[in-house]
Amino acid sequence: MSAAIDKGQTEELNLVTAINQTLRQELARDPQVRVMGYDIGPIGGVFRATDGLYDDFGDQQVIDTPLTENGLIGAAVGMAMRGERPVVEMQFLGFMYNAWGQFIYSLANLHQKTGGLVNVPVTIRTTFGGGIKPLPFHSESTEAYLMHTPGIRVVCPSTPYEAKGLLAAAIRCDDPVIFMEHTKLYRAFREQVPTADYTLPLDKCRLVKPGKELTLIAWGNMVHVSQQAVDELDYDVEIIDLRAIAPIDVEPLLDSVKKTGRCLIVHEARRTAGPGAELSALISEYAMEWLKAPIKRVTAFDVFFPDNQVEDVYLPGPDRVKAGIEAVMNYQF
Amino acid sequence: MGEKKWSEVRPSEDYRRILRPDGTLQDKAPKVSRKELLRWYQVFVETRTFEEIAVRLQRRGVLSVAAVSRGEEAVGLGAAAALKAGDWCFPSYRQNSTLLYWNAPIDRAMAGLMGNSPEHIREQLPMTADQLPKVTFMPYAVFLGANIPLAVGSAMADKLAGRDSISLAFIGEGSTSEGDFHDGLSFAGVFDSPLVVIIQNNQWCISMPASKQTAAETFAQKAVAHGIPHERIDGNDVFAVYDTVKKAADRARKGHGATVIEAVTYRMLDHNTADSSAVYRTEDEAEYWQTLDPFDRFEKYLLAEKIIDSSTRETLAADAEIWLREAIDRGRAVPPTEPSAMFESHLHGEPGWSERHQRAELAAELAGQNPFVDYTGEDLQ
Repeated sequence: MSAAIDKGQTEELNLVTAINQTLRQELARDPQVRVMGYDIGPIGGVFRATDGLYDDFGDQQVIDTPLTENGLIGAAVGMAMRGERPVVEMQFLGFMYNAWGQFIYSLANLHQKTGGLVNVPVTIRTTFGGGIKPLPFHSESTEAYLMHTPGIRVVCPSTPYEAKGLLAAAIRCDDPVIFMEHTKLYRAFREQVPTADYTLPLDKCRLVKPGKELTLIAWGNMVHVSQQAVDELDYDVEIIDLRAIAPIDVEPLLDSVKKTGRCLIVHEARRTAGPGAELSALISEYAMEWLKAPIKRVTAFDVFFPDNQVEDVYLPGPDRVKAGIEAVMNYQF
Repeated sequence: MGEKKWSEVRPSEDYRRILRPDGTLQDKAPKVSRKELLRWYQVFVETRTFEEIAVRLQRRGVLSVAAVSRGEEAVGLGAAAALKAGDWCFPSYRQNSTLLYWNAPIDRAMAGLMGNSPEHIREQLPMTADQLPKVTFMPYAVFLGANIPLAVGSAMADKLAGRDSISLAFIGEGSTSEGDFHDGLSFAGVFDSPLVVIIQNNQWCISMPASKQTAAETFAQKAVAHGIPHERIDGNDVFAVYDTVKKAADRARKGHGATVIEAVTYRMLDHNTADSSAVYRTEDEAEYWQTLDPFDRFEKYLLAEKIIDSSTRETLAADAEIWLREAIDRGRAVPPTEPSAMFESHLHGEPGWSERHQRAELAAELAGQNPFVDYTGEDLQ
């Protein structure tokens, strides 16, 4: 787990303005950074993440493209293998299913297929997660599809500070990185973020809060939902922000569970074969003898993301997380 | 069923042709030196020689599968000759003539066909930078449509960087039904990408005839929807291929954007050594296409022009047999890739926890140990 760096001069940013500032700084730092996608130019992105970039960097560096996710990823990989450093905006994770071919054949596989000769330094920024009551396929948490794929990194920031450092690291990384931005966190809160550019490691989880009785693993908005649940209970819970969804930073998770003897996994993704299944399997395989209770998963259900009227019930909230904590803490063998 | 659609009948010969099947000129021959024409002929011979050896090796169990391009060689060859050093090429598995024209290393190719990892091949068969082909060839994704968006991105990068190199992609007529084809061309049209796409229409997509791929009159016209100029040519006429690709490449180099070329040709043999085309197509079809053979007509032309004589073919084939065999033997002599190589070249940086454990598990398994008895896995390394 990484420590926070010296923050120097800071300013108050929310998650989406932190993303915007990072893109701006990376575009200025490296002329081969090409921000590309649809609705990213004059409109500045549907969430305004690319606001103002088109005016300041022009259409050679901020490239509005046709509406084809598969073409978008393929073209970005083609550019990357010729020395460019594309940063793709995939408007919603739920739109990426259309791009599965280029995602697998090109983005994930090209480096391996060329025996490491060709690098694919593409960052795919995408939004995920529920809570803002949009249209169908705008709230997907299908990171399990991503993490099953070798050859890519998947990261997920849970705060503006994390977003800035992780995005800069993703853009500078020579691997393809899927960067998952939670829509509900875009404007949820502000925090002090260093004005200067900085990077955070792409392969490390983050200790949110130390504790001795239970290890709670979450990412994205579920870090905050879990934090609220923990605050409302009187247990000494260790909260870990997974941050690196793939590859997983396994060792600190095992160390934490070996210390607390209990584990709760909280995610917005569906349960069956979801990320929690892999985390739970890893912990049972490698830390079974330290466990004082079965590992519990607090997740969404195995259904399509439901209509807006029932969205709040579908998503894990503080109450469901509290129920999960109680279940694990009070378990008797 | 009513009347047959155009696409259910023999492909129209209403296309650009320079060299007739009888070896005479129908139109002005492109400006190509006699020396270069002899080189083309040599590559034709080398391609057929190489593919005959590959099929023999497959029958003896050295290769698990082999795909050949007999009857289609003029497409890859004419296109290859239209490229320049610095260009990027995205072939499929039926452009051996393109690879041979640009002196792609056959020893490495053979080691690859035998299933070795690229890292291992590079280590075992080292080459200096100036020994590598002057055109960069990308490996294909077997899913052939995937070439197109990649080639478009490559072309976009050339344009952004102000280079005058171009990208050339091959796709079969079947793969033009894939979304990838249209996804890529949407970009290529909008961004005026310096790109040439060759639809190598060999009439058969394994067992699926061209008529099952589209109800459109031609494959070339699929470019219309993308605002990209298109040509339909006799793919068995190396002059038509060369001249058309050259003009498209020149256009691209000058910043005028992409071109789609449908090269009408025929897959004379099976899809690959795992296929049996007698099940789904007739002999009279093969007889018709035999009269259009790309090699025969080019040979007739060269004989008439006295660029070759009646002994040239035999001499070149004998030379090709020798050097190809040597190269193939070097490829075959590469020791098998170590199993741990499967973990290479996935991500940069230090391997993560899971990769370390899985590497250690594999090593233990190969050493005859039980890879699962140690829960940490660390001391297995």
